[in-house]
Amino acid sequence: MNRDDLIKKWLNNDLNATELEAFKKLEDYDALATLTKGVKHLKAPEYNTSEELNQILQHIKTLKKPKNNLLLTFSKVAAILVVCFGLYYYTTTLDTKFSTLVAQKETFQLPDASSVQLNAVSTLSFNKHKWSNNRNVTLDGEAYFKVAKGSSFKVHTKDGTVTVYGTQFNVKQRNHFFEVVCYEGLVGVTYDNKETKLHPGDHLLLIDGKLIATEKENLTAPSWINNLSIFKSLPYKDVLAEFERQYNVTINLQKVNDSQLFTGSFTHNNLEVALKSITLPLHLTYSQTDHTITLKRE
Amino acid sequence: MPKQLHNHICEEHLFSSLFKKYAKDLHNFLYYKFGNHLNPKDKVQEAFIKLWENCAKIPPDKAKSFLFTTANNLMLNAHAHQKVVLRHQQTPQKTYTNETPEFVLEESEYLLKLENAIANLTEAQRTAFLLNRIEGKKFKEIAELLDISTKAVEKRIYGALKKLREDIDEL
Repeated sequence: MNRDDLIKKWLNNDLNATELEAFKKLEDYDALATLTKGVKHLKAPEYNTSEELNQILQHIKTLKKPKNNLLLTFSKVAAILVVCFGLYYYTTTLDTKFSTLVAQKETFQLPDASSVQLNAVSTLSFNKHKWSNNRNVTLDGEAYFKVAKGSSFKVHTKDGTVTVYGTQFNVKQRNHFFEVVCYEGLVGVTYDNKETKLHPGDHLLLIDGKLIATEKENLTAPSWINNLSIFKSLPYKDVLAEFERQYNVTINLQKVNDSQLFTGSFTHNNLEVALKSITLPLHLTYSQTDHTITLKRE
Repeated sequence: MPKQLHNHICEEHLFSSLFKKYAKDLHNFLYYKFGNHLNPKDKVQEAFIKLWENCAKIPPDKAKSFLFTTANNLMLNAHAHQKVVLRHQQTPQKTYTNETPEFVLEESEYLLKLENAIANLTEAQRTAFLLNRIEGKKFKEIAELLDISTKAVEKRIYGALKKLREDIDEL
């Protein structure tokens, strides 16, 4: 057996008795023995397995069970989904709102081809996201609707609900005053749980919840669209209220009966002319200071 | 049922038995490969904690290679190519000696040379050689530990021995 093999066998602690003798006779046996002895000085520090194990087990107990991490991840995802869904729900149920100020008129489109014109000091709100299966608007004030054909279209007001099936109509709801005029198609008005059908030219007027008989309407669109307010046998206070909305003024009355009926009209463009229109027929005089107008019986 | 097997490491008793089986070997492996200054004990702890954290993903038969690879990587991250220092075991001082002062001096010089020569071995050679010479492990055991062939272990150890003797004779 040659020297290399002997040394390898020695390294592997694999020598038998005769081989060991042969190995000891090798010239470098002494050097190898010294080397081995020297190397033993570099032994790794004692490793106390059980002590280290106790340490690691204690450390592990402070960690969360790995299974909980899955639950934690799941709850994080769930929380995010809840927030997203909440936001989505909130935004979709949020109503879209349009308002006009004194002396302001506005025209805008509803989500379908329908259009609305809002008269002064009016608010219209509806839900854009539910529009396709639910054409509902809520109105406070006066508006003129041109409704595209489709499913039923409802206008909710304090005094009643107007249902339409593709038409043009005007709704006016002010304080105790509720008026619907149909210009085209068919309109249903529900108030006090009963529905009244309006055909083109038909007119429905409620003052303080009482039905007031009125004559047929000959116009094809409400007059206010063309900046003119027309009144036919209406209480003078309603006329003055409309006047205040159109001109941003306050009207004081002195010795004037405000419940007498008024027939006539006023323009929205010229204060001087408009004032004359509402005072001359009743033989009143007027004086103006800033935004306050005083009407006086002669 | 492979799923149940996977979960076993997550159970404390199996984890403990893995620790008892591999911790000491892992520690010695790290010590002989990288030396003392990087604190092999800590790296053993870290490697086992990583094993625990990933216990659901690692089948028991892969645990050993996971531990050795993880610990090795942890060492390499901290290693930064520093020179290996193997600290002498503090052997109890003899109160008397019948050896001559020359002999004592020669011996300490020899040890210094040996230490340097060992530090100059390649990592692979040093690890295999010291596991064999100091821990008394057979080639086959070392081969299993390092996931290499017995022949490769023999080659490394024999190569290390040859290189050491050359280096020491030279000095």
